[in-house]
Amino acid sequence: MMVRVEGMNAYDEERDAALLASLRDVWEERDAPPSDLTERMIASVAVDDVSREYALLTPVTALEGAVRSEQSRLTLQFSDDATSVLLHVSATESGGRRVDGWSDPPVLAARLAQDAHEWAADLGDEGRFAFAEVPAGLSTVRLIVRMDGELREFITPQFEV
Amino acid sequence: MPEGRHAPRPEEAAPGARAPGQGEDESSAAGEPPRWQQAAELFGRWRAGETRAMDDLVRLMTPTLWHMARAYGLSPSAAEDVVQTTWLTFVRKHDSVLDPTAVSAWLTVTARREAWRTSRVDSRSNAMEDERLEPRLPTHRSAEDEAVEAVASEGLWHAVEQLDERCRRLLRIVAFDDRPDYRRIAADLRMPIGSIGPTRGRCLAKLRALIVGHGEEAGA
Repeated sequence: MMVRVEGMNAYDEERDAALLASLRDVWEERDAPPSDLTERMIASVAVDDVSREYALLTPVTALEGAVRSEQSRLTLQFSDDATSVLLHVSATESGGRRVDGWSDPPVLAARLAQDAHEWAADLGDEGRFAFAEVPAGLSTVRLIVRMDGELREFITPQFEV
Repeated sequence: MPEGRHAPRPEEAAPGARAPGQGEDESSAAGEPPRWQQAAELFGRWRAGETRAMDDLVRLMTPTLWHMARAYGLSPSAAEDVVQTTWLTFVRKHDSVLDPTAVSAWLTVTARREAWRTSRVDSRSNAMEDERLEPRLPTHRSAEDEAVEAVASEGLWHAVEQLDERCRRLLRIVAFDDRPDYRRIAADLRMPIGSIGPTRGRCLAKLRALIVGHGEEAGA
């Protein structure tokens, strides 16, 4: 098979560029990224940025409770006009906390923050998300949802996990 | 991955040289600036305090990073993880990108390294695993174009699928990297720098032979 790199002329170069462009088209067509990948990536980068304008969610339930034992479980609910967030806090075997969340509209990315530490949520289906193991302590959750075709940032008030 | 069959000839491709035909205006078919330049501009705006410019940068570069990751034969879910890791690494380390015009290269190199690492850890990663189950982005072409090109595209795709893995990987990387840095690509692919140009040429020649064998030149 011929290798025509040495002494490649303009015609060869154009031909190669055209073939590479066709290749790009065919890959774009046949192996495009999942349709929502870009949006999820935007959200996961955005939620990292604390300087964005997060709308404060209002607690629907009292925030005074706390999980004291492995048996106890705390449910917190937050909302604003169009967004609803539920958090279930439970104790883990190692003495930490597990936070299972659900949001409507479905969450695209979420973080739980305590002082200088942050944890990214594992996302599930239909708005579910979870922080598998975080220490007990005062926390806030930031999350990003899509509403009316746009990403919207929300943050909960501080609560005890 | 050593280049076995073709000894590098120094005169063929200078280290770091841009490939013939790989102009910087590769992606500017619609008259817009090349992707690396758009990325540089968005990154600059974000650094200047325009929060939403980051959203646009992620929107611009995510499909390219996906193709970089998929070039390594990763499953769709593993490729997604690579793309996400790339972005989160970028968020942590963006201070290390001193020159905004290097931001696109920084991202593609990071994605390739992460993909390479992942493909080694998960050498059994099966590219067909959850293939075609995910909804795909719609293609942006007119109906007539689509009908005419479908045949050519079928031939080209068939040829691509018959290429060996190394050729497929290299061609996918250079096809989607609008400013390929051959020195880095060589390092990422574990190939001698001097052999990238010739290998690329040979892979394209193989592809042409396969297309001709299939009876279509696929508009190339």
